[in-house]
Amino acid sequence: MKAKGTSTYLAAGFFLALWSFTSVVSASPGHGDQQRESMGQPGQPEQVDRSIDIEMHDNYYGVENLDIQAGETIRFQVTNKGKLVHEFSVGTPDMHEGHQEMMQMMVEHGAIKGGQINQQAMQMDMGDGRSMQHDDPNSLLLEAGETGELIWTFNEPVKNLEFACNLPGHYQAGMMGNFHFQQ
Amino acid sequence: MRTLKKIAVFTGSLLFPAILLAGEYELSVDPVVIDTGDFTKIGVGYNGSSPGPTLRMKEGEIATIRVTNNLDVDTSIHWHGLIVPADQDGVPGISFDGIKPGETFTYTFPVRQSGTYWYHSHSGFQEPDGAYGSLVIEAEDREPFRYDREYVVQLADKHPDAGAQIMHNLKNSAEYYNRTEQTLGDFFSDIGENGFLATVKDRWDWGNMRMMKTDIEDVQGFTGLINGRGPDQNWTALFEPGERVRLRLINSSASTYFDFRIPGMKMTVVAADGNNIQPVVVDELRLAVAETYDVIVQPREDKAYTLFAESMGRTGYARGTLAPREGMTAAVPEMREPPLLTMADMGHGGMDHSNMSDTEMSGSDMDHSSMGHGSMDQSAMDAADPFYAPGSGLLPQAASGGKFLSYADLRAQQPRYDYREPEREIVLRLTGNMERYIWSINGVKFEDAEPLRLQYGERVRIRFINETMMAHPMHLHGMWSLLNVGAQGDNPVKHVISVNPNTEVAFDVEVDEPGEWAFHCHIFNHASAGMFLKVVVEGGEA
Repeated sequence: MKAKGTSTYLAAGFFLALWSFTSVVSASPGHGDQQRESMGQPGQPEQVDRSIDIEMHDNYYGVENLDIQAGETIRFQVTNKGKLVHEFSVGTPDMHEGHQEMMQMMVEHGAIKGGQINQQAMQMDMGDGRSMQHDDPNSLLLEAGETGELIWTFNEPVKNLEFACNLPGHYQAGMMGNFHFQQ
Repeated sequence: MRTLKKIAVFTGSLLFPAILLAGEYELSVDPVVIDTGDFTKIGVGYNGSSPGPTLRMKEGEIATIRVTNNLDVDTSIHWHGLIVPADQDGVPGISFDGIKPGETFTYTFPVRQSGTYWYHSHSGFQEPDGAYGSLVIEAEDREPFRYDREYVVQLADKHPDAGAQIMHNLKNSAEYYNRTEQTLGDFFSDIGENGFLATVKDRWDWGNMRMMKTDIEDVQGFTGLINGRGPDQNWTALFEPGERVRLRLINSSASTYFDFRIPGMKMTVVAADGNNIQPVVVDELRLAVAETYDVIVQPREDKAYTLFAESMGRTGYARGTLAPREGMTAAVPEMREPPLLTMADMGHGGMDHSNMSDTEMSGSDMDHSSMGHGSMDQSAMDAADPFYAPGSGLLPQAASGGKFLSYADLRAQQPRYDYREPEREIVLRLTGNMERYIWSINGVKFEDAEPLRLQYGERVRIRFINETMMAHPMHLHGMWSLLNVGAQGDNPVKHVISVNPNTEVAFDVEVDEPGEWAFHCHIFNHASAGMFLKVVVEGGEA
């Protein structure tokens, strides 16, 4: 009885957290949406102006400051050199904070364990057609040893634009870096 | 010619890299005046102060520390948490003969680790009397986290009585310093709540155990210190808003566990006992005696934050401030209500609450609801921490209602050893007679105990069964304690294992250091009263 109550509660909390996460990234009127639009969007391979290699370690990035131009399209070639799962996510501190709840949930539910991602758990149906699928256009989630690519077009200069790993505790411990818009 | 010379130097440095990295340190052991703001006393310190200076070493160097004894009695220094050769470990009677008055003793050892540690006297009552300091070792490689500045936050429980006097008083009456004893008024209010018979029976049961529900701290009446400063002296650390600040928390108390928090700020725990862990974001954490934790905080606002460390029994606190400018303060919280031990904390032995996936669960099926005192707090059980007995009065809860760090959260960031199954298990019962203030291991106090013999090269599992109603922070010298949290190779690497009342906790030891070592409860008076073993590692190149 008690166990059942707990799992219902968990599922509800899960759903709520997912929903709030979704509301951060999906189009909804308000300040967050403007921020999201101005920080840019996924770019096309033929638009790429230059490539930047990013190494991810336990728990920090090889590069912690990147100079970029407004309007530039960059191919980030990201390699996870650590033994834990890491993320490369483009966003503002508020966006990262929202995303951290999602990541916390993935870890608590075994979708991410140590250096591995459990794809089956990620696709678990959370009801209402939602899953923990990590398919946000502004981030890459990589297993230990894995390499991935993110193409991003930056629009106008955004204050506080960061790249970050939102696995539990990683951002707080300092696994983040800053984009600096050049004039 | 010039080029040749350069090459020679270069080759030399390749052949003898260690020689180039030498760290030299001087410490004098002195009588000092200690002023807590509440009282002033004569104590023992280093280089003229208590606590002593922060020793900053570098991983990979050969440390040479000259210690001059300016006391009129023998002294010693133990490098707490450092892996050093047995004859450099600083325990008189086990590692060496001690340092005579007027003598200078030179310690030398290679520094093979990094992180936050401390040092203290292992002689007489010098440690509770003030003979402690912090020890910070800079890592050779990049650390797995970032910070803009760092501070040592060394906690201590400074008592107006001298250490020897405290021990004497405890031997005369274990309740000498118990200022939170339940009163006649409590008795009548309990009768009102629970009825006369239940209340009398409850008092009778506790009397039979020679324990009281308030036996959480046996030395009360102290002033909590941060870096030697009492709450009113308000030790202050500065930051610029937005900076990441690393706090190196060290509990150098003689007797007291502290619950540490910074109201209004989350902390990311990145190291435990000097070893990096996978980061855990918490609101509050408990530091057992002699443990160290490193936390990173990022105060974003231009305002002051209070560093607040309440003792586990809520009988005293340490307080400091983290502020953008000198002189700023933030509100100091009230201490919470003192916890009371429950029947769940009563030592029956043989119960495994640790719920470890890779250990045999023998004796784990005892039904607590049948103990006849069925008033366990359900909400406390729901928030169960497997390292406390279910229903334990000591189970910590964050003041903010948020996350309180548990041993169960700790995972090594970089394991020091590959995992392997232990070849044998040694059970150590933590035992005591509170009334006579005798503390012991397997019912035998140190003077009467045979040494614990380990074989060089083996891996052993040591399983503590705490049959007493107090928590015991157990410290093995010389070798790492791999705390079993059920994570095998990712089990955290520690030097103090805190064992709560009526629980079992296991840790593994890779027996890789020859020689003779101390192994004891780090509550000072418990070790003095006999909760102490000598460990002999047989074989290896001593």
